[in-house]
Amino acid sequence: MKRPLRLRLALRDLAAGFAFGAMAMSGQLPVWVLVLFLGALVLALFDVRLVARFHRLSALGLLVVAVLLGLQLTSGAMNAVVAACSFASLIAAQRMLSTPNAAAEGQTHLTGLLMVAGGAALSGDMTYALCLIAFGVLASLSLALGVVEAAVPDGEPVPVRAVLRPLSTGLMFAVAGAVAFFVLFPRLNWAMVGPRSAPGLGAVSSAGYSNTVRLGGAGTIKGNPRVVLRATLTPDPGREALDAYWVGRTYDTFDGMEWTNVVGAQQTERQITLRPASDTLLHQRIELLPAYGARTLIALEMPSRLGNAMAHTPTGTRSSPVQLQGGGEVRFTVSAPSYTYEAYSLPPDAKAGLSPGLVQAERDQLLALPEHLDPRVAQLAAQVLQGEKEPLAAARKLAAFLQRDYGYTLEQAGTPEDPLAEFLFVRKAGHCEHFATALTLMLRTQGIGARLATGFYGGTRMDGGYLVRAGDAHAWTHVLVPGRGFITVDATPPSNRPSQGSALLENLLAFYEAVEARWRNSVVDYSFRDQFELARALVRPPRRAPGAPANNAPSRLPPPRAWVTAAVVAFAVWRAGRFVSRWTGRAPVLEATRFLDRVDAALQKARVPRLEHESLEDLTTRLARDGHPLALALTPLTRRYLEARFGGRALREGEAEHLLATLRRALDAEAARRAVKPDGQAGPTARAS
Amino acid sequence: MERLAAQLGRAVQGKPEEVRRVVTCVVAGGHLLLEDMPGVGKTTLAEALARACALSFSRIQFTADLLPADILGAQVFHAQTATFSFRPGPLFRQLVLADELNRAPPRTQSALLEGMAQGQVSLDGQTHALPSPFTVVATQNPVDFSGTYPLPDSQLDRFLVRLSLGHPAPDVEARLLTTRGAASPLPSVEAVTGPEELASLRDFVQDVRLDAAVADYVVRLARATREHGDLERGASTRAVLALGSAARAQALWEGRDFVTPGDVRAMLVPCWAHRVLLRSAVQGVSARDEAAHLVEEIARKVAAPR
Repeated sequence: MKRPLRLRLALRDLAAGFAFGAMAMSGQLPVWVLVLFLGALVLALFDVRLVARFHRLSALGLLVVAVLLGLQLTSGAMNAVVAACSFASLIAAQRMLSTPNAAAEGQTHLTGLLMVAGGAALSGDMTYALCLIAFGVLASLSLALGVVEAAVPDGEPVPVRAVLRPLSTGLMFAVAGAVAFFVLFPRLNWAMVGPRSAPGLGAVSSAGYSNTVRLGGAGTIKGNPRVVLRATLTPDPGREALDAYWVGRTYDTFDGMEWTNVVGAQQTERQITLRPASDTLLHQRIELLPAYGARTLIALEMPSRLGNAMAHTPTGTRSSPVQLQGGGEVRFTVSAPSYTYEAYSLPPDAKAGLSPGLVQAERDQLLALPEHLDPRVAQLAAQVLQGEKEPLAAARKLAAFLQRDYGYTLEQAGTPEDPLAEFLFVRKAGHCEHFATALTLMLRTQGIGARLATGFYGGTRMDGGYLVRAGDAHAWTHVLVPGRGFITVDATPPSNRPSQGSALLENLLAFYEAVEARWRNSVVDYSFRDQFELARALVRPPRRAPGAPANNAPSRLPPPRAWVTAAVVAFAVWRAGRFVSRWTGRAPVLEATRFLDRVDAALQKARVPRLEHESLEDLTTRLARDGHPLALALTPLTRRYLEARFGGRALREGEAEHLLATLRRALDAEAARRAVKPDGQAGPTARAS
Repeated sequence: MERLAAQLGRAVQGKPEEVRRVVTCVVAGGHLLLEDMPGVGKTTLAEALARACALSFSRIQFTADLLPADILGAQVFHAQTATFSFRPGPLFRQLVLADELNRAPPRTQSALLEGMAQGQVSLDGQTHALPSPFTVVATQNPVDFSGTYPLPDSQLDRFLVRLSLGHPAPDVEARLLTTRGAASPLPSVEAVTGPEELASLRDFVQDVRLDAAVADYVVRLARATREHGDLERGASTRAVLALGSAARAQALWEGRDFVTPGDVRAMLVPCWAHRVLLRSAVQGVSARDEAAHLVEEIARKVAAPR
């Protein structure tokens, strides 16, 4: 049994690696599977076939793993698809590490295929597509090399370069063709698997909505650049950065450490109205991404109506009813990695009716203070307000005081007994939750109703919509103004409100998000409708400018851009056809011809006299006829060349070098002989003269 | 082939190249046209060939009054049985020497033509197969044209190779005088092969590999003759095929089982010079030389595959 080609095995293992990557990108595989497979891949790439000797033992190990996975599956700890994917990847790892033979080969490719299929069930990410393409290309190369290797007799070198080059060209065309096929041919959306259900790369639910806000929690979230929310606003504000509050929920009860709500779950409906609508509603179409990780609906302040939610789960997309919770929070009842829904909000300056949707218990809580509130809080509030009783003016005064005299920090100083007193009188620095809590409570001590609101602040423009990042998470205060309802007052210094992440990371992520959004729009969600739109956009007559005279009769012909596009496409096709025909019509540069070129070069260097257009064959015949000493060296060489070129017996590996070396030696000897001869002739001549 | 050439060399001295061409032509299974002055050994060469190959041989002297029946044979009436039976003519031999072919009228030439092309003759509605292998060696005198019927192009095209022997070198001529005198050299030629071996040799020639690149070269050469300004008519498809088999036989000479462009070039002039038609009105030797010159020029212009 001859040794298999290292390159082919490496290609095979890399293909399996990419197939695994197609699944691993979903982030749903258990860590131990990741570690095992990657370890096996590295070993396989270094040609360490660990399992070759212990294949029985490893098979037993696989069996054990299968049982374990089965147990996890039945206990509900693991998804069936994830379990199947994990098992497939472990089989692939075992096969990669076993003795390379035809069976192991086939099984590795087969498990690779299974893993790709599993990846399709787990994620429809852009990274998945890249992995799929890489798998296809590498596996094809490896398989083709395997076929060639099998055909080459023992001991002969495998013409790797000769195989890979045309094959790569073919694969390039295949990939390009697949892309063209994708764009041009009618397609339907199957929605068999939830393409958006995957959390994506490294997604960990980061916004962390819970039922409470605990002062003293870690503030690292401010540096998290993951996008949690994507929104399209109508009417579009058109600004680069939104200066807006996205509210998730509010809290009314503070116990000195934690904010909670008095009221729990209320009604469940398809759509929940929080406030009566006005005639200038701001419509939002919002997509919550897996990085969000909570079930609370978010909307711009002040939300009026929320609902029409769709939950994107691994098993498909379905509509989710929404449930009203305490504090004006609206929650999805279906748990899913990502959601889409619609929300209508009142514009910030609109008059929202008095304390809408508030039950009596909630109303009573707006002035409630914790049991052991530091008395200095009330003193400080009174001192700052100096008799100001008007709620909004008082709130603004307090907020200005806090912004002026207190510093912003994300660092935490352990878990103090009374975080509020610690913030106000000891550290005099804190993050948004501290500022908001301080403002809310100081207002309450002065008899002004207020509550804590949490959500996000800001929004970056992207592709006509807005992105909100996990780092944009924020807390602020709602002040109850009689006759106007709740008004937002933010005590946090303005520069510290938006995301605090590094600019570079944010830019990189924004780029990734942009690419991914493109990918989703033009690949994942690309449908027959989009193809139709594309075609229609091309042939639709141009919209007449509003001021243009309407005298020219509307033409039924497609607009010039359709003709231009058609011409460009025709030209491109023609050029491509010409290129291909020239490419195929080109005489192939053969091994023998290359050899001949080298012989010619050697002869020319040695200044062997040669007639014009004289072929090597003719030259050798002529030299042999003349009894030239070089003919001795040239004859076998010429014969081999002719055999290789016209006789169908290719040069063996290294044979060309050997023949050339012989020729060079002969040429050198000839040169030496010629160098001596003139001397010999010159001698007598010199004497004669 | 080497043995064959050696035997022929005994009969025709001082002409190794020409002898080689003759053997090449016979091995390739083609007919040979010798065109030369009288008395340079054309007949001797043909007879020696027949002896060396142990082929049945006949010589037909073509004259102006020769009729087809004279070469093909005739139906003979048997008085006793009152039936006709076919009596084969001198054409029914494995090697036929058609001497002074251009002196016979076209009718007779055509009768020979059919035999050469089809390997059979038709007579009174009956076809008679000629023996195998069947080779015609024809000679003609390019100088003396009076009373001749120049061979039509179609007939010229049927000869694989046209050769001219030319006068032997002076020293060879001198040696002939001193050693041979008037005695014929033919008895010294020994049979070194037989018809069967010749047939298998011909099969072997057809198995010689002709690479696609070489085939392309031959076709390009043919196209060059067709497009050449000084040629009325270029090489026909039959000429292309003929060059292929001639080059194959030539490759065999070199001990190769594949054809190289060099083989093609070596057989190009003997194979094609008589098949192209010149625009100029020259005739005879000068026409022959000019055609050969033009074909050589074309061979220089068309790049050989590398």
